[in-house]
Amino acid sequence: MNALPLTIAGERLLLYPERAAYWPARRTLVITDTHWGKAATMRAAAIPIPGGSTRESLNRLTQLIERTTARRLVMLGDSIHARSGRSPQTLAEIATWRGRHATLDLVLIRGNHDQSAGDPPAELGIHCFDAPLVDGPFVYRHWPKGSEEGYTLSGHLHPAIRLHGRAAESAKLACFWFGPSVGVLPAFGGLTGTAIIRPNPGDRICAIAGDEVIPIRY
Amino acid sequence: MPRKPQNPASPFFKGRNWKPFAFQQEVWDAYRNGESGLIHAATGTGKTLAAWLGPVIEWMEGDGEANPPLRVLWITPLRALVTDTERALEAPLTALEIPWTLSARTGDTKPSLRAKQNRRLPTALVTTPESLALFLANENASDRFKDLRMIVVDEWHELLGSKRGVMTELLLARLRRISPHVRTWGLSATLGNIDVAMETLLGNRNGRLVRGLVPKSIVIDSLIPPAMERFPWAGHLGVNMLPQVIAAIEEGRMTLVFTNTRSQTEIWFQAILDARPDWAGLVALHHGSLDRKTRDWVEEGLRRGTLRCVVCTSSLDLGVDFTPVDRVIQIGSPKGVARLLQRAGRSGHRPGVPSRITCAPTHAFELVEVAAARDAYRLNAIEGRDPMVCPLDLLSQHIVTIALSGGFVADDLLAEIRSTYAYRRLTDAEWAWTLDFVSRGGEALRAYPEYSRLVFHEGMYRVMDKQIARRHILSIGTITGDATIDVRYLTGGRLGSVEETFIARLRSGDRFVFAGKTLEFVRVRDMTAWVRKSRKTGGEIPRWDGSRMALSSELARAVRARLEAARNGIFLDAEMQAVRPVLEAQADISAIPALDEFLIERVQTGEGHHLFLYPFEGRLVHEGIAALVAYRISRLRAITFSMAFNDYGFELLTAEPAPLEEALAAGLLSPTNLAQDIPASLNAAEMARRQFREIARVAGLTFSGYPGQNKTVRQIQASSSLLFDVFMQYDRGNLLVDQAHREVLERQLEQSRMGRTLERLASSKIRILDIRRPSPLAFPLLIDRTRSRVSSEKLADRVRRMTAQFEA
Repeated sequence: MNALPLTIAGERLLLYPERAAYWPARRTLVITDTHWGKAATMRAAAIPIPGGSTRESLNRLTQLIERTTARRLVMLGDSIHARSGRSPQTLAEIATWRGRHATLDLVLIRGNHDQSAGDPPAELGIHCFDAPLVDGPFVYRHWPKGSEEGYTLSGHLHPAIRLHGRAAESAKLACFWFGPSVGVLPAFGGLTGTAIIRPNPGDRICAIAGDEVIPIRY
Repeated sequence: MPRKPQNPASPFFKGRNWKPFAFQQEVWDAYRNGESGLIHAATGTGKTLAAWLGPVIEWMEGDGEANPPLRVLWITPLRALVTDTERALEAPLTALEIPWTLSARTGDTKPSLRAKQNRRLPTALVTTPESLALFLANENASDRFKDLRMIVVDEWHELLGSKRGVMTELLLARLRRISPHVRTWGLSATLGNIDVAMETLLGNRNGRLVRGLVPKSIVIDSLIPPAMERFPWAGHLGVNMLPQVIAAIEEGRMTLVFTNTRSQTEIWFQAILDARPDWAGLVALHHGSLDRKTRDWVEEGLRRGTLRCVVCTSSLDLGVDFTPVDRVIQIGSPKGVARLLQRAGRSGHRPGVPSRITCAPTHAFELVEVAAARDAYRLNAIEGRDPMVCPLDLLSQHIVTIALSGGFVADDLLAEIRSTYAYRRLTDAEWAWTLDFVSRGGEALRAYPEYSRLVFHEGMYRVMDKQIARRHILSIGTITGDATIDVRYLTGGRLGSVEETFIARLRSGDRFVFAGKTLEFVRVRDMTAWVRKSRKTGGEIPRWDGSRMALSSELARAVRARLEAARNGIFLDAEMQAVRPVLEAQADISAIPALDEFLIERVQTGEGHHLFLYPFEGRLVHEGIAALVAYRISRLRAITFSMAFNDYGFELLTAEPAPLEEALAAGLLSPTNLAQDIPASLNAAEMARRQFREIARVAGLTFSGYPGQNKTVRQIQASSSLLFDVFMQYDRGNLLVDQAHREVLERQLEQSRMGRTLERLASSKIRILDIRRPSPLAFPLLIDRTRSRVSSEKLADRVRRMTAQFEA
């Protein structure tokens, strides 16, 4: 786990290649777009997709929590993929994971998927919010939209970037995208796609390349 | 001795001053005797009547039943051919006053006619494999097809070798089961492996191979550029032969201009109109993505001779008889002898006039290909088409189709499926896996009770869920091509369809050229790209995937022979004379490889270090060999290759020099470990992942949705690439993933051809030339921007070298 330090809104953040941002000053781990239960949703519709991706994402999350010693986890929306993905296995996996991190403070800012899929079960003790949540210089919200109250940390887009180099090199990579007032995190879930973004000059892009996060010049 | 009975169909022939050909009589007699078979002959030589009149005569000689139920099923590969086929079949019915009903059923059929057909099918039905599959996915299928006497598969060569061909085999097996005495006749152009074509069509039955008329002689010539560019470009955009093409169109009364891609069609249509604005309304374009109405209008113009020129793709290769066409121009190389002959046959339908095809090169080396094609034609070296074997994605689809038609008993269906050529060696294990996969999701899904697609009840497998049924019906017919979306004017009016991936890149206000018009993109909604006419002209032209054809093995061999002659200073024919300066430049800068040599050029440019390797075997084979060579070198040290391929060779481009000599000494072309290295190299180049796209679609894992789809549909969409990763990670036993690897090896790479090529290269003299600038052979590779990669470097190290470029 090689984290890339980056200062945003005057605060030092660590960007992890496991697709999470950590804010050491508040011991807060921020992730977005986990889309838990997506494979279950597809199975419920008779598309034969094997399970494993939800568990993989939860294991990855456990490693991050242990590594960072985070006390709080903020999820920027789209936690459960769809109502039909709330299968007993999916919910049991999430509950088991929660059991391992019983003291962790959990916050979910609802996204578009949460609105139709429903919140994670109440016994998990996740504080769910519709409105943007202000935390120091940051505003947590699902949609990447600016705010007067601070710098927005958001998700929703599943950002990725296309890189080119000498000798006709090219690669498409999931990335963190920080603009002047809004930052977008990469999607955390394993069975989620990406969308190529169109940044503006001056934006900071940090691409995920294997087990490293690399700031991109352009 | 009883007299041979008078042919009851003879009034039809007499009325036209025709006489039946001997081969037609042979087919009618064979049909009467209950035989099935395959008729092969060039287009426009009476194959249709040979097949069609069999059952017509049977009715005239026999029962004469009034208003008979469905007797003849006519399967055609293209919707575009349906109108014309109906017309051809109608003519003898009218002349002989036969009270049969005849109609067509395709995706284009009007709802009123559909409803009528659903109540009662006509005596003869013209349809496509996809529409037939939809009929068979219906509960009353057995009842509807039980009186079937004859199935004709038109243009069988076009279906053969594709998954649609396999689909047709499965449908035929089904129909033979419903109606055990049905006879099957195929119509095909001449192929190098015509006996295999018949075996595939008839499954494990015997049949009669009937050869139609021997084609008249064919003239193959070229438009020769006045001045030869020494450095040919990639070729798909060049219109610098425009003046000569215009002159050739002026010579003829009506000209077909064939191109190899739909994009080229759009480009040439614009170019011709720009050069001759006075031809507006007389020049048309025709390709498979255009709206049906537009295509119909063009085809009608071709029949009546009211057009001057039609620019088209393979969409006009088949069927349709356009007697007024007297000139055929081929833009670029036809890449195969069979295709060249097929296209040539579109002209000269008048007695005594030979068919002629004139090729307009888009780059200099295509002149060599034309000369080589003429050699191959003279030697009768016509390509074969290999049928596909055992695609499990299609089997999955078919199992669900049959489950929808009232259910099935597993052993019965297995026997039926094994009666096809494609699945004759389907193993018990493969069958069990596929059945388990479509019904319960396979081993990996054993633990998930929420999953169920087929329900097993009282010995039968069925589909019970209406949503599953609906989605399946919508996905039959998505075998060909990628997801496309409709293009429509805001004011209404459909223009055709383009690939979703092209539209996805457009932003509101962007211009693009389609259907010969400059359009302004407005938005996408309900699976439709809404556009308006643009006042400005010019814009991006859609690229349709999978439209690049590879040089056939036969033509590749003929090209190598022509180059060998050129190396010895022999430049026969106008084409070789014209290309002589280019070949001399090649010899000057580098070399023309001898037949027993494998030429490798090494050159450095601002872009990096290039290796150009020339096996001259066609781009599909080169793609595989490039991956292998790159993979083997990449094991010597951490390095990243970017690769480009064409029909002559391939390029490996690196930022640092590749250790070529070291790799050769370590057995770069050696047959040792090929069995491990080839699959590993294909993985490294991510070829199976790309192939999985089609498999996922056919097997019903991904689907493109449909108009007015709701959120629940979007929620279950995932890219085939993600699914490939999921299967690789969590379900290694998945046979569809195996199939992706197998298809890349067998079909895409023509494994046997790749093996033969490697043997040839390994025994060749390797000639490495360090050259100071790219040679004429290297140039088209150098500027090709569609590339794939093989790397043994850490991704992060590669990323540090790269900078961001944002896709515009």
